[in-house]
Amino acid sequence: MIRCLVVDDDSEIRQGLQAFLERFGMQVSVAADGRQMRQLLGAAAFDVVVLDIMLPDASGLDLCRWVAQQHATPVIMLTAQGDPGSRIVGLEMGADDYLGKPFEPRELVARINAVLRRAGKGGAPQGAAPQPSRQLRFEGWAFDRLLRQLVSPQQVVVALSSAEFRLLSAFVERPGRVLSRDQLIELTRAPGVEVNDRSIDLAVSRLRQKLGDSPREPRLIRTLRGEGYLFDVKVSP
Amino acid sequence: MKWLKRCWRDTLFKRLFILLWVTLVGSHFLAFSLVMSQVGRPYGGHDGRHEGGPAREAPSAWSRLLIFPSLPPMGGRADGPPGSPGHAGSGPPPPLTPQGGRPERGLPGWLLALDYGVRMLIIALAAWLGAAWLSRPMRRLSAAAHGLGEALQRDAAPPKLDEDQGTVEVREAAQVFNQMAAQLQQQFKARGLLVAAISHDLRTPLTRMRLRLETLDHEPAAQRCVADIHEMDALIESVLQVFRGAHAGEAMVSMDVLALAQSLADDLAEQGHAVTVEGEPALARAQPTSLRRVLGNLLGNALRYGERAEVTVAVLGDRVLLRIDDQGPGIPEAQLEAVFQPFYRVESSRNRATGGSGLGLYIARDLTLRQGGELLLSNRPEGGLRVELTLRRA
Repeated sequence: MIRCLVVDDDSEIRQGLQAFLERFGMQVSVAADGRQMRQLLGAAAFDVVVLDIMLPDASGLDLCRWVAQQHATPVIMLTAQGDPGSRIVGLEMGADDYLGKPFEPRELVARINAVLRRAGKGGAPQGAAPQPSRQLRFEGWAFDRLLRQLVSPQQVVVALSSAEFRLLSAFVERPGRVLSRDQLIELTRAPGVEVNDRSIDLAVSRLRQKLGDSPREPRLIRTLRGEGYLFDVKVSP
Repeated sequence: MKWLKRCWRDTLFKRLFILLWVTLVGSHFLAFSLVMSQVGRPYGGHDGRHEGGPAREAPSAWSRLLIFPSLPPMGGRADGPPGSPGHAGSGPPPPLTPQGGRPERGLPGWLLALDYGVRMLIIALAAWLGAAWLSRPMRRLSAAAHGLGEALQRDAAPPKLDEDQGTVEVREAAQVFNQMAAQLQQQFKARGLLVAAISHDLRTPLTRMRLRLETLDHEPAAQRCVADIHEMDALIESVLQVFRGAHAGEAMVSMDVLALAQSLADDLAEQGHAVTVEGEPALARAQPTSLRRVLGNLLGNALRYGERAEVTVAVLGDRVLLRIDDQGPGIPEAQLEAVFQPFYRVESSRNRATGGSGLGLYIARDLTLRQGGELLLSNRPEGGLRVELTLRRA
């Protein structure tokens, strides 16, 4: 059972979220401010914290950093401000995901599941991964995971689609490892999108195109017949 | 006492007065001395020693002066030097000395040229220095005014002028400017805070409503309410974008326009929309996040009113052209420009349940102009709207 802590100063949102998430089989505790949140986190273990960024007694950003440092519990930030700057700051402060209010309740459930999968709860192939850094480099390319774009060795910004972004994220977290199509489907799952063999192949070919990787003799994303794909480069932060 | 103090102050007027006075007097004096030193030569007869300069020759020149009073011309010559006799008179006293018995006579041509030349040169030099001296505060002011706009856009501290430097007028202008800049920045900040607060206070109840609607899951009315919540949220987001746009200090970089169009099209296709992209790779100078927003708005419009969008990317000389064609009803010719106004809506779209905030095109054009691009609309002869976005080629 997923243990979830909801922190929001609006009582109706707290109760609404609690009732909703419980319908999905989660065990939900609620806190109205930072003090309560610290108490609850000190008293019991949680799998995920859903944290509003504006609280009466503390900045959500500070709390977010505190949780990331003290408990290593994944944090999903909620905000009604919807400022792209706060999204970037929030993710850099150690939040694992970010959702603007008003959100689709089902979207929150999907994000919780995705965050837990990434954190290794849902049987992800990698153990408890440390907070991934915002920018990764490989072969002269820079991959900005917040702006979801690539910067080429010639300093040209190359935008990525969501599918390409999810695929490249899966690759850079597992460089030098062969990933089967099934694994890639699992790793790039997203709410409301159907991911299948064909869409994986399409995203791979688009990524190769954008990375300037020849489809006949790919150097970066190699095809291993019958096994899957291999991202064959050294990735550094 | 007060009057004396005021006289002592550094005013623009005083600077101008001193500059003109010193220049004119100085030029006359110097020209006069130089010419005198030359005049002294043929009469004095000290060959070979004149290279020592006018200073050494001064005694002889000054002695000559007594019998050679025509410099600066005091009369007799209608075409005297431009310096007025009155000013010359306030210089050295010599020309006022009583004349000897010599008759008035003109100077040799080369001496006249030397006389005029020296005066012109010195006045020109002083005018140049003086103009620079006088205009420096104005230049500082205009530079600060220039920086003010940028600082407000980037939400940085406004430039501050030194209030304790320069003439009284300049100090006053600096004070007024600093006050104005501070006020402007305060208003900008207040506006940003206000919009953020309104958006926060609207979105919190919307979140409550959305959660409440979860308990009435299968009611058709609930579904329509959810759609309304999305629409209101989109409007809030658009309004925020308008205000954020004013602060957008995103850096201009080289960007692959085809890759961007392809990415957005792939995302839309993933959600079941009909978008196609064709063209050649084209690098443009642009702000990545802004350009993404512009394209997102334009593609959203094309799909909302025109069902499907066909995107073409091409390089035209030093520009990159991105064209979006849709198959909708287009826009009446007379309104092609008006649709860029905020909240403007074409009558036919008002009646349809198509949603949209009425800010999409306004934001798109605003952000495009900021990147040095252009955004044009036209109706295609075969039907449908054509949007043409041009950007500077990288």
